[in-house]
Amino acid sequence: MEYLFYLEKGIWFGLAALGFAILFNVPPRTILIVSILAAMGGVTRLYLVHSGASILMASLAGASLIGVLSIQASHNKHAPPLVFSIPAVIPMVPGVFAYQAILGLINLSTNPNAPDYTQILTGTISNGLNAIFILMALAVGVAVPMLITRKTSAKHIKIVKKGN
Amino acid sequence: MLEIGTLLMSSGATTNRVRVTVNRVSEAFGYNTEMLITNRAITLALSHDGKQEFFNSLKRTSPHGVNFKIVSGISRMSWRVVEENWTISQIKSEITRLKALPPYPRLLVLALVSLSGAAFCRLFDGSYVEMLVAFFATFAGLFVRQESVKLEFNPYLCVFFASFTASMISGFFRKFGFGEGMEHAFTASVLFLVPGVPLINSFSDLIDGNILNGTVRGINGLMIAFAIALGLLGAMAIYRF
Repeated sequence: MEYLFYLEKGIWFGLAALGFAILFNVPPRTILIVSILAAMGGVTRLYLVHSGASILMASLAGASLIGVLSIQASHNKHAPPLVFSIPAVIPMVPGVFAYQAILGLINLSTNPNAPDYTQILTGTISNGLNAIFILMALAVGVAVPMLITRKTSAKHIKIVKKGN
Repeated sequence: MLEIGTLLMSSGATTNRVRVTVNRVSEAFGYNTEMLITNRAITLALSHDGKQEFFNSLKRTSPHGVNFKIVSGISRMSWRVVEENWTISQIKSEITRLKALPPYPRLLVLALVSLSGAAFCRLFDGSYVEMLVAFFATFAGLFVRQESVKLEFNPYLCVFFASFTASMISGFFRKFGFGEGMEHAFTASVLFLVPGVPLINSFSDLIDGNILNGTVRGINGLMIAFAIALGLLGAMAIYRF
């Protein structure tokens, strides 16, 4: 039952990434890998959240996984890692948090005399902060593996190519 | 050289990638390059070790959309220039070939992006009916965006139109069709506009020390996000949620 749940979500993550890959006009040979990466990252995040990690750390872990794997993929398929990692990480964007935060902001500005004003205020702040921090976690997770491996990867490619 | 740099910049490469790639190509011809890369223009100075000659030029980047085919195509080409000793004319013809590469067929793009809208909806625990609504809302939104881009509106206005259309459609179902619980479709229908490339590139640039470019890209991403929110707000104000 559990596995089926993760499998289904994984497929949806993959499909969401597929749409973005097409939208960004990635080369055809990379599309499949993008979907697989997105599914793996997304399922990792879901699994971590279900086993009790905070959504923030789970997002960071999922995005880092995508970042690291995309570097490997870029060596195999000869395309910059960015091509794989950005479409793959987008399905994890915190849409619901951002939406709730905007909704809360409107509420706050339109009826300042609401009886549960403080409650709305705390809810809005928490949702907004969650949205911003998850976005940052996604960006860090994707960017840092690229930076760490940059120097070595460039040399590595050169050596391999010369060998051929 | 400039053509390579500006093409890369406008189709969504990070500042560092532009610099590395242009350097690689120019070194293959034995020249040193110094560059000033900004978001809208690139300045470049070429010099040769043994000679007195010096070449200087400036080129504006054209405001194209994200196109990863060009990024990966040029990055591949730059390696082949180094290894196979390409001539200038070969590079020129390769660039024109890359520019002319056809994008995916429009219907395919529309269908798959809408599918990803539906997938988003499912990820937010939406039901299958909501997924259908999200599919059609995304479809209409993307269609409006493509059309308004063709008419050369301001890019942020295009995003606003798209998000307004998408949320009007999904909001219609939420208001009149199925009562409560359509929130997920409403949220998911505008997510295809999320400025993922500017935001992530902005962060990579900032970490790299290209603070100026990173800031510019980040603000660009925020403007897009603001346009999306504005479209949502417009629809919400009309339907009085």
